[in-house]
Amino acid sequence: MISVRGVRKAFGTATVLDGIDLDVHSGEVVSILGSSGSGKSTLIRCMNGLEKLDGGRITIDDFDVSRPKELAEARKRSATVFQLFNLYPHMTAVQNIALAPVEVLKIPRKQAEADARALLDSVGLSARADAFPAQLSGGQRQRVGICRALAMKPRYLLLDEITSALDPEMTSDVLAILAKLARDGTTMVFVTHEIEFARTISSRIVFLDKGQLVVDLPTAEFFAADGGMAKPRIAQFLSKMRKD
Amino acid sequence: MTFDLTILAPHIPFLVKGAVLTAEACVLALAGSLCIGTIVAALVTSASPVLSRIAYIYVDLFRNIPFIVQLFFFFYGLPEIGIYVNAFATGVIALSIAGGAFTSDVIRSGILSIDPGILEAAEVSGLSKPTIFRKIVMPIALRTSVRPLGSVFINLILTSSILSTITLNELTGSAKIVASDTFRPFEIYAVLLVAYASLTYLVSLAIGALHRYLNRDQTEAA
Repeated sequence: MISVRGVRKAFGTATVLDGIDLDVHSGEVVSILGSSGSGKSTLIRCMNGLEKLDGGRITIDDFDVSRPKELAEARKRSATVFQLFNLYPHMTAVQNIALAPVEVLKIPRKQAEADARALLDSVGLSARADAFPAQLSGGQRQRVGICRALAMKPRYLLLDEITSALDPEMTSDVLAILAKLARDGTTMVFVTHEIEFARTISSRIVFLDKGQLVVDLPTAEFFAADGGMAKPRIAQFLSKMRKD
Repeated sequence: MTFDLTILAPHIPFLVKGAVLTAEACVLALAGSLCIGTIVAALVTSASPVLSRIAYIYVDLFRNIPFIVQLFFFFYGLPEIGIYVNAFATGVIALSIAGGAFTSDVIRSGILSIDPGILEAAEVSGLSKPTIFRKIVMPIALRTSVRPLGSVFINLILTSSILSTITLNELTGSAKIVASDTFRPFEIYAVLLVAYASLTYLVSLAIGALHRYLNRDQTEAA
């Protein structure tokens, strides 16, 4: 379980997260919605230890991400996919995927590369396995990014606006992969602006506004007129997103 | 005046010996400056302010003192306090230390140009800091640094001619002796010009090939 308790984070005088409480249980897909600057990405960055907390506590399977000795264990259990892919430019797709399994999980290189090719095959990229990131389209790069995260066999997948840099066609390719992962029972925390997609695959939806958690509701309840939509801020946000 | 290279024939073995000595000193100094430069660049970009400061002092110190002064200090100065090192080792060490200062600056620039997102991706995947440096930081930094590093290395080869001032008969030292023996400085130094130009041209070709290899993803068809 990912447990977020009373998390506070500020950059200078700007408070970005203000007392967030959240639990993510095994098998859940939790979408985090909110306008730009609401703290969604910062929350993901706090979960994977990229940002130091100013208060509160985050544990992943009881490993505290704020404690350096426990962070490594927490990171073995979770993997992150980034908005801008962040692939290693000097490595091929296979090498990008196989690096951490070889170095962290100590899987023999041949085995790790075979696993990487199987993952690439599962996302329709077997023909591009030996291509470098610069030789791939945005959608292909993001699919490699997802494979890189999955190669670590994580219990939790953290996804930070992974379709924001993609055109609609590429976005649908990537979302199809996430839908499959959701059907397979992969636990995901998903920061997104893809409202309809979040509605389709999420078990719960969390809405952040100005660093505060406004609601944390099951998906159907979130979109119900007497549920999340009863909150003016959420209704306003959803209305604007649908217009866009 | 005639241009007669045949007068150099009896001195060719001596000149070749000097050229070999130059090559040995340069190869060792290139390796030394690359090692020192890499370590110093890692320290400069490290999270430790103390280590970073120490590394900056080293870079500032050895970049801003004429190489010949450094060389004389090592060769003539250090024996005064009981540290004796032969001319060849002194030359290699001095070239490595001086070259390391310039090399570190180039590698540091390469490191700082890396997209921080790439390093974050490596970090969250659980890779250790040494592994990130070895497998991610250095290979990416070298992609952008390799050409300026080539200039540093070529400068190092040219600077090696100063080693003749500490009794080391490398290529330039040997040429000076032959010139004084034959009284034909025009021919001997003309040969020296061609020798250094050839040597540095070969290094340029090698650096160009390495640059193309490290950046092959940018040139190969998608």
